[in-house]
Amino acid sequence: MPAVTPALAAIIFSAGAVSGTLGALLGLGGGVFLVPFLNLVLGFPFGVAAAISLTTVIATSSTVSAGRAGRQLINMRLGMLLEVATAGGSFLGGITAHLIAQSLLQRLFGIVAAVVAMIMLTRLRRRNVILDPAADPGVLGGRYYEDESATTVTYRVRRLPVAIGASFLAGNVSSLLGIGGGIVKVPILNAWCGIPLRAAAATSAFMIGVTATAGGVIYYGRGQLEPTLAAAAVLGVQIGSWGGMRFGATASAKWLKALMAVVLFVVSAMMFARGGR
Amino acid sequence: MTRGERHAGALRLERMIGRVLRAGVTTSSVCLASGLLWTMAEGTSAPARLLLQTGIVVLLATPVARVVVSVAEYVVERDWGFATLTAIVLLELLASALAALVFNRRL
Repeated sequence: MPAVTPALAAIIFSAGAVSGTLGALLGLGGGVFLVPFLNLVLGFPFGVAAAISLTTVIATSSTVSAGRAGRQLINMRLGMLLEVATAGGSFLGGITAHLIAQSLLQRLFGIVAAVVAMIMLTRLRRRNVILDPAADPGVLGGRYYEDESATTVTYRVRRLPVAIGASFLAGNVSSLLGIGGGIVKVPILNAWCGIPLRAAAATSAFMIGVTATAGGVIYYGRGQLEPTLAAAAVLGVQIGSWGGMRFGATASAKWLKALMAVVLFVVSAMMFARGGR
Repeated sequence: MTRGERHAGALRLERMIGRVLRAGVTTSSVCLASGLLWTMAEGTSAPARLLLQTGIVVLLATPVARVVVSVAEYVVERDWGFATLTAIVLLELLASALAALVFNRRL
């Protein structure tokens, strides 16, 4: 366990603030940035980095979702259905994390991130939206008001088994690598399941609190969670995601997709670099 | 159940969940911030550690509380499908907590 100093706490607080801002903007937990920073830059053991990151994922999810609740951007019913899969995947990941070689997982993660980034880039202009606001979104679909285009967006959920499979995988990756899992879910929900990016990101951000808790509790039980460093990271992320949320409301969906693709390529390269050693 | 009733129920649940998340995250942030400042100012002490641990536990408990509220609301609405789904999520979270206890070598 790394020694706790005020300087280290300040560094982790700042890293948390940056991760939180980017996480809120992209509908990711922010762990995608924080885990490599803690593991590669600060040299923390992977499990310690993952445990800290998972607590920040829970904080981001709770903060962002509390701010959005009541505006119908979060698809609660779809989120709760998919949570059955993410929590199951996360539980399995949590109890097997110490049995699997990290280098293997990192390379797998690198491949997944790169593939997902390419999907995002090729579907940059696709909207997957029913334009008739009176249309029935079905039991799982949704309807929300989009400020950007000043219209009510209605959508139906397609290919539910794909969404469930992606959620299970996202949950598994979440507790194994200490991220929220939005990196896996959001592009798939958007590209294949007909869910607009903004709703997919909001629903994912809502779900990752439960996902990260299922994994985070196990790390906590194992004694891999350093409370002082987790506190610094969580508080940094809180401030960062507060800022990101305000900026996110005015950012365009196309810009968000392109930024997310770039982020995924960078994460992929970092994972390959680490996993290949 | 009509579409209007379902819509009203969904909105009520969404607001309730918003309140639970905000309360949890505020409580844990206050505990974590005071515990962290205390530790930074005077080094580790028992009360500072207690504040930090409380903050972490409240943070971990917040999504669980949100799921509990959802189960209760779906039962009240007699929406048995979603009551079952959210109950399964709650069981999965309890399984994780149980695994955490099993892995805890201090027990």
